[in-house]
Amino acid sequence: MIHDPDAKPDPVAAPGQDRYGPGLAVFARAWAKAVTGTSYLPVTPAQLEEFLEGLTVRLVEALHEEPFSLRRGYQIGSDLVAAHIASAEGLGRTIEVIELRLLRDLGLSPAGPPTAASAGSPDATSGGPGSGGPGPGDDLRDRMARLLGTVAIGYARALRDRTLDEQESIRRAAMVAREQAEHALRESEARFRHQATHDPLTDLPNRALFAERLAGVFERDGRSGRRLGVCFVDLDGFKMVNDTLGHQAGDQLLVSVARNLRRGAGEHLVARMGGDEFVILVEDTTCTDDVLKVADAALAAVNEPYVVDGQELRVSASIGIVERPVAGTTPSDVMRAANITLHWAKSSGKSRWALFDPERNERELTRYALSSAMPAALERGEFCLDYQPLVSLCDGRLLGVEALVRWRHPQLGVLRPDRFIGLAEETGLIVRLGSWVLAEACRQARRWVGLSEKAPFVSVNLAVRQVRGPGLVKEVTGLLREHDLPPDRLQLEITESAMMNTADESVDNLRSLADLGVRIAIDDFGTGYSNLSYLRTLPVCELKVAGAFVEGLRAPATEPASVTDERILATLVSLAHTLDLTVTAEGVETATQADRLRAIGCDAAQGWHFGKPMPPSLVDALL
Amino acid sequence: MRRPDWAPETIDIDRPSAARMYDYFLGGSHNFAVDREAAQAMIAAVPEAPLIAQANRAFLRRSVRFLVEAGVRQFLDIGSGIPTVGNVHEIAQAMAPESTVVYVDIDPVAVGHSREILDGNERALAIRADIRDPDRILDHPDVLKLIDFGQPVALMIVAVLHYVRDEDRPTDLVGRLRSALAPGSYLALSQASGEGRSPAEWDEASAVYKRTDRPLHNRGRAEITQLFDGFELVEPGIVWVPEWRPDSSHAFEDVERAIYIGGVGRLR
Ligand SMILES: C[S@@+](CC[C@H](N)C(=O)[O-])C[C@H]1O[C@@H](n2cnc3c(N)ncnc32)[C@H](O)[C@@H]1O
Repeated sequence: MIHDPDAKPDPVAAPGQDRYGPGLAVFARAWAKAVTGTSYLPVTPAQLEEFLEGLTVRLVEALHEEPFSLRRGYQIGSDLVAAHIASAEGLGRTIEVIELRLLRDLGLSPAGPPTAASAGSPDATSGGPGSGGPGPGDDLRDRMARLLGTVAIGYARALRDRTLDEQESIRRAAMVAREQAEHALRESEARFRHQATHDPLTDLPNRALFAERLAGVFERDGRSGRRLGVCFVDLDGFKMVNDTLGHQAGDQLLVSVARNLRRGAGEHLVARMGGDEFVILVEDTTCTDDVLKVADAALAAVNEPYVVDGQELRVSASIGIVERPVAGTTPSDVMRAANITLHWAKSSGKSRWALFDPERNERELTRYALSSAMPAALERGEFCLDYQPLVSLCDGRLLGVEALVRWRHPQLGVLRPDRFIGLAEETGLIVRLGSWVLAEACRQARRWVGLSEKAPFVSVNLAVRQVRGPGLVKEVTGLLREHDLPPDRLQLEITESAMMNTADESVDNLRSLADLGVRIAIDDFGTGYSNLSYLRTLPVCELKVAGAFVEGLRAPATEPASVTDERILATLVSLAHTLDLTVTAEGVETATQADRLRAIGCDAAQGWHFGKPMPPSLVDALL
Repeated sequence: MRRPDWAPETIDIDRPSAARMYDYFLGGSHNFAVDREAAQAMIAAVPEAPLIAQANRAFLRRSVRFLVEAGVRQFLDIGSGIPTVGNVHEIAQAMAPESTVVYVDIDPVAVGHSREILDGNERALAIRADIRDPDRILDHPDVLKLIDFGQPVALMIVAVLHYVRDEDRPTDLVGRLRSALAPGSYLALSQASGEGRSPAEWDEASAVYKRTDRPLHNRGRAEITQLFDGFELVEPGIVWVPEWRPDSSHAFEDVERAIYIGGVGRLR
């Protein structure tokens, strides 16, 4: 049915779609074509055309509505945008196609010729009542212009709102994404930091974090009289657990120990330093007792029974403790001291704590310093020999001298052998040092032989290692030959205990030396087992009786103890003589002692009474 | 401190994003000045760029409709982009409300926006992942929440693989994803081809995308066909995207210049 343009449009009963005939579809298709490609439309061409047909009907209704309403045009414009026909081009082409084709395609062209006003008057489209009364065509054109205007307004508004909404939402998405990324980064940094500062097995703070916290204690304020304490904890016999139950059980145990330690240490930082070593930092101690309490709690915590692999297990720990003012120390000092102290706790029996003792540390440090300086000192010739006379008790003749090694330490002055021989034995330097002493003593002995036919023999102390060494015989033989020294001018002293423990090889060594004519003496006789039986089988020619027995002879002969000592000595002497051994008493300091020794038949004596150790030049004078 | 491998990158919105440029081509406003500027440079090089993007988006729409009609109810859309007009879940759920959709994109802003759009939709979600790490996608708990790999799945890889380098072995990536699919699953895929355009045009287009977060790697028809290894192509096979089951014959004027080549294949 063709719409009658002359009829007053009925605003209530809007014309149905079928009222527009094929023109409607033609127009909608043209409209669809015009807007296709202006933006992405999520519909098929057919759907688009159908949608636009609907809008076309609404346009026509709006054109004819009485009274003319702006709202209709706005709505159509915004519906276009809602259908995603939403671009500047979309709007331009829409207006163009409506203006060009709507009336024509739908046969809505104003009936009859255009009025004069509508053909030429500038205000033809104004629609104002003053324009001389527009005809129906003019009215339609007028309405069309106003409709297009409102469609454009509605469209532009909707497009702007949509653009703003989309901008807002993408910005929000970017912001959220950025926040999430930052959050994730922070979290991963926190996780990374946790990993970097914690031990993966026990989740305790690790060495790095501990070092940081310890350094923090020093940074905060080192001068205000603050103190700190550190407990260095090490499990006793953990290696055994690992070896017997396996590493997995060992790890399980470590995890449990860590948990107990953390609980035992309360608010104090517990860190795992590695292996079975833990450390507790006790900040702001007021006195040593504060740390001792923590250490006791830690020991108790560690001592609790564990179940590992279904097996009940007990372990103990040793703890090295340092507690001191922050001022005047450093983190590494504290840790070194704690570590040293831990070793003290271990070596004094484990399952206990030890407290750092600066004096003990000082002594150990000196020992350490001495022992490490000794090899170079030997190279540099810092060692020398003093000689102490061994005198005959019958006629006061100088029989021999005992070579005593000295270390002229550049800082510490002259050191006696008790300060360094033990160290040399520990480090093994004793072999080289002993060789040097032997060679030097032989050289000196030979010099005295050249000076006098009554030259003393030189008595040299041998360390166990030297006695056992395979090269001893060769070494002595070489020296005797080198210095052309009569073998009986050399005496080798070995201690009773060394003698007892010597293996067959050493006995062979001594026998060969004795066969050469070298004198063999037992030093410090009476301090060990004093087993006389071996003396028969050994190639010994002299006993040196320990100063302890001689000491007893200082007291008046009326004292019972003194009498006992004298009797022992007398028995010893007669026994020795039975075995064809001479006896030399050591540590003789008074004339009384000398007299009493002489009275019981002792052969020779050595001690301050007969001469202190002296440099070789002074011995020369005694010849 | 060195950033550990697992720390995420920060968001850089000062660099043009391929996802947001694509939105601009489709007529959306989910983009920033840098994106618009790069998109305009692309239009200067290839004036039909918006039409090409729209044609690809229309291919996506038609393929989803096809897949729903074929009975598929699970969609794994990798490289899903900024949700704008005509998203997979809208198309699929309008036709079959029980359809589930998982969107996957590497662009955190795209994923953020997807989540906002999907808020309240229990059958669709978005995760951030890289197609170059298919195992992470396949094992992702969110993916497994909505997708049952025992049932047919529509794997959508539309307009994505031209952002993946040859070194990353796109054929293997698709193959790995395919290996997780049940028989009766489908692959819908398109990608920018190097065909139908002069080298000069390509150079200019590549230069634009070099400035973005995702440089371009176009592939020829033969290579694109290879991506469908193991799938049986449905009619009309691998074609310029406007030619794939068009809604009307006059959809795209000069298909040779459509850049995108794609198709749909079914897993036997
Ligand atoms: C051109 S859009 C395609 C959007 C949608 N699939 C379509 O065809 O309408 C490409 C999307 O792929 C994403 N993309 C690029 N490389 C990717 C990768 N390696 N892994 C996952 N998504 C990627 C981009 O972030 C972008 O959102």
